[in-house]
Amino acid sequence: MIRTENLTKVYGGLTAVTDLNLDIKKGEFFAFLGPNGAGKTTTIKLLTGLLKPSSGRALICGHDIQAEPVEARRGISYVPDFPFLYDKLDPLEFMIMVGQLYDMERNDILRESEELFDTFDLNGTRSQLIENLSHGTRQRVALAAALLHSPQVLIIDEPMVGLDPRSARVVKNVLKKRSRAGMTVFLSTHVLNIAEELADRIGILNQGRLIAIGTKEELRQQAGQDGALEESFLLLTRTEQEIAASR
Amino acid sequence: MQSKTFFRILVDTNLRLLRRRVIAVREQSWLMTTVMASFVLGYWGASYLMFHHGFHFLASLPGVGGMVVERMLYLFFAFLFVMLVFSNMIIGYSSLFKSQETQWMLTLPVPAHEVFRWKLVETSVLASWAFIFLSAPMIVAYGLARDAGLLFYGKVFLLFLPFTIIPAAIGALVILVVTRYLHRRVFKWALFGMGALALVACVIFVRPINAQDLQESQMIGALDQILRNSRFTRYPLLPSSWVAQSMIAWGEGWAWKGTFFFLVILSNALMAGVICVAASGRIFYDGWSRNHSQGSFKLGIEMLDQKISMPKSWLLEPALRLIPRLDSCTRALIVKDIRCFWRDTSQWSQFVIFFGLLGLYVINLRNVTYDWHNEQWAVFIAFLNLGASSMTLGTLTTRFVFPQFSLEGKRLWIVGMVPFGLKRVLLQKFWLSSVVAIIITVSLTLVSCLMLHVPLWLTLLFSATGVLMSFALCGIAVGIGALFPNFGSGSTANRHDDNPAKIVSGFGGTFCFVLSLVYIAIVISIEAAPMWLQIYGGVLRRDQQPWAMVGAWLVVSLISLLATTLPMQLALKRVDEMEM
Repeated sequence: MIRTENLTKVYGGLTAVTDLNLDIKKGEFFAFLGPNGAGKTTTIKLLTGLLKPSSGRALICGHDIQAEPVEARRGISYVPDFPFLYDKLDPLEFMIMVGQLYDMERNDILRESEELFDTFDLNGTRSQLIENLSHGTRQRVALAAALLHSPQVLIIDEPMVGLDPRSARVVKNVLKKRSRAGMTVFLSTHVLNIAEELADRIGILNQGRLIAIGTKEELRQQAGQDGALEESFLLLTRTEQEIAASR
Repeated sequence: MQSKTFFRILVDTNLRLLRRRVIAVREQSWLMTTVMASFVLGYWGASYLMFHHGFHFLASLPGVGGMVVERMLYLFFAFLFVMLVFSNMIIGYSSLFKSQETQWMLTLPVPAHEVFRWKLVETSVLASWAFIFLSAPMIVAYGLARDAGLLFYGKVFLLFLPFTIIPAAIGALVILVVTRYLHRRVFKWALFGMGALALVACVIFVRPINAQDLQESQMIGALDQILRNSRFTRYPLLPSSWVAQSMIAWGEGWAWKGTFFFLVILSNALMAGVICVAASGRIFYDGWSRNHSQGSFKLGIEMLDQKISMPKSWLLEPALRLIPRLDSCTRALIVKDIRCFWRDTSQWSQFVIFFGLLGLYVINLRNVTYDWHNEQWAVFIAFLNLGASSMTLGTLTTRFVFPQFSLEGKRLWIVGMVPFGLKRVLLQKFWLSSVVAIIITVSLTLVSCLMLHVPLWLTLLFSATGVLMSFALCGIAVGIGALFPNFGSGSTANRHDDNPAKIVSGFGGTFCFVLSLVYIAIVISIEAAPMWLQIYGGVLRRDQQPWAMVGAWLVVSLISLLATTLPMQLALKRVDEMEM
């Protein structure tokens, strides 16, 4: 569902992503990890077609995001870390608008919205303007809107920021359930235990390069240690100074 | 998704948003509604009277009256056209390339050019409504002066719709090409360079009136000069001349001629729209991607690159260290404010336009030499100049100083927690803005007085008034900015939406502007009173006039002191009690 072929992005003189090759299958839950500035958000922007790659290409649902952007985007939803919402709409109005933008029938929008509001515990806030909602609630509204048209691929950047433990649990459950039902999830995060708990496979990006990819066990093998994912991550993303200091 | 459906959904949503905003304004504060309504009605009333008397006066000039009135319309629309192009460029850049909404729309299953088309319409409406609002009194005054029927106003309104599309298309095309092919840092310097070149060109090519010729027959000479210098506005390929011709023809009752020029505008607007939309397809997306992919600009020459991308204020900090008793915290805040201002595109682009207009104003002062006119004219021009300078300052403080606290408010977690407290932050903003305002106002006053050949004592008096006004207007802007802050929705999702122009458009900004205008009107009236009384009323003798003016200045000082300290005191009290 998501395929990248030698995807590269250069900003001025800085190479943010270098020769990224990914192949993520239908229904796979893929976690994308990396230190700050590793190139995760740039990769996401390349996958969603917001940025043009300097070389290589990205295919979403079999469509090249640059050559056939509309066809590719029909199958995806993107939730950034700070999603855009219309402050003066209420959550239901926002859902209706988003549904219409994805060519959904009004009855389907209302039915799906009801389900999603129940799932994300948004019934109490449906008639409040979005500007009056807390960050966590806004995050849940954005996620509900992203799932409204049942996308084949969900690309999500730091979904747990600002969520209380209960809401975080709900989001994790929904993502896992949808993934099992066939939706591909591409989740970028710094929170290692989310990746550890949810992901089928994990990719680690460091300085724009994919330095490791595989299941948790495979990453442990690559790192050469048996501890938690955190240990593997820290070992794999060591800087040159840290490597030199450890010798 | 079809283009029509996409547009319909967005129109529905935006109408709903607009309705909610209007309701929110009505529910938020009766004071706000009253201030805004009074301001709108006051502006319309005053402008209508000014245009009404202006048209009647000009029309009464023997022989050339009708021609001068027509030329004023040509000039007005030419000026409007240029301002609309600039306005579309500024709003278009933010809307197309900096808005979070655009980023979101680009992830939807709609082609990028559809997003561009929608944003073009949105920009055109945002950039044009104010100009239609501002020109309404002029159109009504002209229509009444020409005894045009009700249909005339409807037709002129229709005329404005295609007219606003042409500058919108030009502005969007310029922004598209610049963003696609120029690095924003290069663009920034190119804009400053073009501004400087335009000023130099004005200095060279705008020729002053020959005072000797005018002394013989002042009015005819002045009119001849105006008509000669404004000939360019009749250039037949200028869209503004089509609007003027259409409006004049309809005003005179020449229906076919008016309709002909309306159709000329309509066809050109449609063509401009087609060119813009056709060019937008790939350029917009490429430009957007490029705009969000730019690293620091490099020429490839190490020494030059170091200078261009130099992040440190290599001159600023050492210069601030020279100021005695300026502690490191205040210095850090000043450096931060100047850096943030300099690096914020939405700030400096408008700043450049402000100063471009100021430059044109100063250059044009050469056409109003002081000493060849009679005394009444001299008083009028000198005070008109003081009024223009202070109005510019009032606009600048409202636009740039008022939002400072609101912008800081979103970062209260850092500036509010530093050991010296928010009161010092507020005072730092007041002093920094006052110093900058004094430099601008006094320079402008000195240059304009010099060009008008105003006597030295009057120049000094005006400069001293400029200093007082700088303190007062900054006091009002900083004070009202803290008393009526506009922190937006406060949501983290909107944390990138720190647009100062949006902050100014709220109640606080309007209130600040109205208060500044009231203060300026009071100050100018008091300062002008002695001269007025001497020349027109005959109450004062000529030898008493300077003393009366000094007395008036002292009254102005007291009022300025009040205008400075009252909002600042209230604001300091407010931030002292503020819960973060």
